[in-house]
Amino acid sequence: MSTGEFDIHLQELRRGTIVLACLTLLSTPGYGYGLLEDLERIGFATDANTLYPLLRRLEKQGYLVSEWNTDEARPRKFYQTSDAGKRLEQALITEWRELNAAFSTLNDPAGPHAEEN
Amino acid sequence: MTAPLTTRYIEATVKSLPAHLQQDVRDELSGSIADAIESHIEQGALPADAEKAVLLELGDPSALAAGYADRPLHLIGPKYYLTWQRLLKILIVVIPLCAAGGTAIAKGLAGSSTIDVLLGAAGIALTTAVHVAFWVTVVFVILERTGTDLGLAWDPEQLPDPEAPSGGRVELGFELGFLALGAGALLWDRFIGFFRPGNETVSILNPGLWPWVISALLVILAVQAALAIAVHVKGRWTLSLAVINTVIALAFAAIVLTLISRGELINPEFVDRALTPNNVTIDADGSSVLTTLLTLGIAAATAWEIFDSWRKALGHNSPNRR
Repeated sequence: MSTGEFDIHLQELRRGTIVLACLTLLSTPGYGYGLLEDLERIGFATDANTLYPLLRRLEKQGYLVSEWNTDEARPRKFYQTSDAGKRLEQALITEWRELNAAFSTLNDPAGPHAEEN
Repeated sequence: MTAPLTTRYIEATVKSLPAHLQQDVRDELSGSIADAIESHIEQGALPADAEKAVLLELGDPSALAAGYADRPLHLIGPKYYLTWQRLLKILIVVIPLCAAGGTAIAKGLAGSSTIDVLLGAAGIALTTAVHVAFWVTVVFVILERTGTDLGLAWDPEQLPDPEAPSGGRVELGFELGFLALGAGALLWDRFIGFFRPGNETVSILNPGLWPWVISALLVILAVQAALAIAVHVKGRWTLSLAVINTVIALAFAAIVLTLISRGELINPEFVDRALTPNNVTIDADGSSVLTTLLTLGIAAATAWEIFDSWRKALGHNSPNRR
């Protein structure tokens, strides 16, 4: 993550993208620390103290379901995107694409006012 | 792998969580921390350093707990802040003023010294202000945490209208003049006298009311003048102005009616020398026709004054009714 004078604005722009990334990644079950590493690797770096409460919140809202896996030496709580979570994921992706299209229009060489002419 | 620091961190985090969450968060968090420490060690860190680094990354356990419990990390958030601020602004003026005025009157009537009255009133004003600030804030802190909807929505109709002042300049001047006349009459009665048998001042009002009760009445007149100006400047009666008006009107009625009922309003000497010879009687128990009429008149005027301000404050959005 870049640091410096733009931090606040960059953070604001990124806020919310973590939810979408989690919902997408958790179509296959995942646990806290593993998810944190996956997010970092893909480029959605986030803090552990943001991610762990976020997973609980999404579970409470019904977008994730969880299950304790005690097969291994260290018991882990695995989260997976629920059906409601998949619908939320779709809604967020649609919104993201619309925003992306809007930005493309904004940056079109003909200018954002092209349609008016 | 669970070292003392980690255990302490986890306990510090879960202790403020609801009971049903505690065990689950404890198990999950200890797993996550162990995973993170392991990963740090794999990258070549010493175990003690790895633990510290992981806990530092997780940050203040209270903040983490607030995240888990979905608790706000602020006292009063944007949903309630403006309501809190508006309410506090009104109450922190009105309530200490009333309390200080009441204390001053009570101490004055009890015959305390000037210094005593002033110190007593200032002390009460300060104490009440602190109480008002504290309790109003406590209520809003609770509201913030229970998420109660106050049902207060802002509406463009609430905007003050500079084009349509509720009273014109003439009306304001008339009202201020009337109040000044009242204040003048109080002072004239005391120092010069409306009734002057043989060039001697026999005041109509009980001389025992000077200086405290008379001062209180003068203060009330001054506040009413300030109110009239405020209504003129704002262009209309607002809810807060109506509240202040109500308090002031009730204070005036309370003072005067108490004095009438105790037979302490009118100077007994004035009754003896001006009224009794003309067959008008005022009994000490306030049972004469005159005192009854006075009482009813004051009660009716107060009720009207309060009703009128609320009617204008609440009904301002239909200008035709003004």
